[in-house]
Amino acid sequence: MKKLEQEQLKKIGICVAALAVLLYVYFAFLLGPLQDSEHKAVVGIASLEPQISGAKQQITKTAQLEKQAPQATAYLNSLRDTIPDGEPIAWFPPKMASFFRSKGIEKCTTHLVSESSDSMPGFRKIVWAVDVPKVEFVPLGLAISSLENNEPLLTILNVSIDAIREDAQYQHATLILSTLVKS
Amino acid sequence: MPLHVNLYHEVQRQEQARQRDPLRLGMLAVLIIAIGFVANYFVVLGRAHSISVRYSGLGDEWSTIEAKAKDAKARQDELDNEVKASDAMVKTVEGRLYWAPILDQILKTVPRTVQLTHVGADAPGDDTATTSVLTISGISSAGEPRKEAEALRIALDTRLGAQFKHVTSVFKTLDDSDQFVVLDGLRLPTANFTMEFQIQVRDPIAAATPPPAHRARTAEAE
Repeated sequence: MKKLEQEQLKKIGICVAALAVLLYVYFAFLLGPLQDSEHKAVVGIASLEPQISGAKQQITKTAQLEKQAPQATAYLNSLRDTIPDGEPIAWFPPKMASFFRSKGIEKCTTHLVSESSDSMPGFRKIVWAVDVPKVEFVPLGLAISSLENNEPLLTILNVSIDAIREDAQYQHATLILSTLVKS
Repeated sequence: MPLHVNLYHEVQRQEQARQRDPLRLGMLAVLIIAIGFVANYFVVLGRAHSISVRYSGLGDEWSTIEAKAKDAKARQDELDNEVKASDAMVKTVEGRLYWAPILDQILKTVPRTVQLTHVGADAPGDDTATTSVLTISGISSAGEPRKEAEALRIALDTRLGAQFKHVTSVFKTLDDSDQFVVLDGLRLPTANFTMEFQIQVRDPIAAATPPPAHRARTAEAE
């Protein structure tokens, strides 16, 4: 093989240097930044896509729930609508008196015992003592049955029935009951 | 054979030397590589642009949908709470203890030889309580008034036991009385009694399941 001359070696060196400069400029100033921005965009897309997908699912889920909720909450709303407006002390005792009168029990007094918040949002619990001084056992049982069936927000906590010493036919009844009212 | 004399050999040699010049060949190679790089650059540029456009579009979409998703989440929480409240209300209403059937059983069970002087009943105190207490006091009158009271206790226990899951009953007091009553023309001795019924009206809340005893099982297997 013919030995390269000094001049030719110099020229090859220049070519190699030019190639090195080309490679450096291309990768450092052209392709590198472009790939960096492309990589950032790819990472951004990878993070945004699940977020957008999740957001769309959330919106769809809420829309479905919005359609189902009226049916699911209809019972609660219907119960809420049965509660009269105003302070319960103003309407509950007359309501009880009217109810027992409709069942043939003329005399009945209702007293407020206690009031507390309830775990159910939008409601509070009030405990009442309903005193029926003179009543027969059967009409009382029928009245309690009717009360339990017609007043779903009412719970009888305690029943106390005592015979009246002077008149064995009649009893003295006291009901402790709780009601849920709007808070 | 004709003789050829090349008078241009010097010119041709220079031309060959020029064509084989390392600088020329090297620069040509660098130029070809540069052209390849430029072509590659435009390909990558096109791809990066399309990705960038997509990213930008997704960013716009996210900025519009993010607020809607937050509102949707808040609304979902609100609706969930309403549905839970409604379910809790249904549970409360359906979980009430109805007293009328108990009073009905008492009415059907008490014989004419017994007069009740007091009936008292308490509903379970709270959501975790399962037992209701029914207290009945009265006067039994018969040839053997204690037996009559016991018969009433057993009869009530049986009737209530058929209606509720678990019923236990005990006499709190059962005392002979020095008073007599006249029933159907007969003078009968009496006894005063107080009986208490513990009625399980709800299922107890299930206790947490203990973790499986892997070691014990392994030991048994061995």
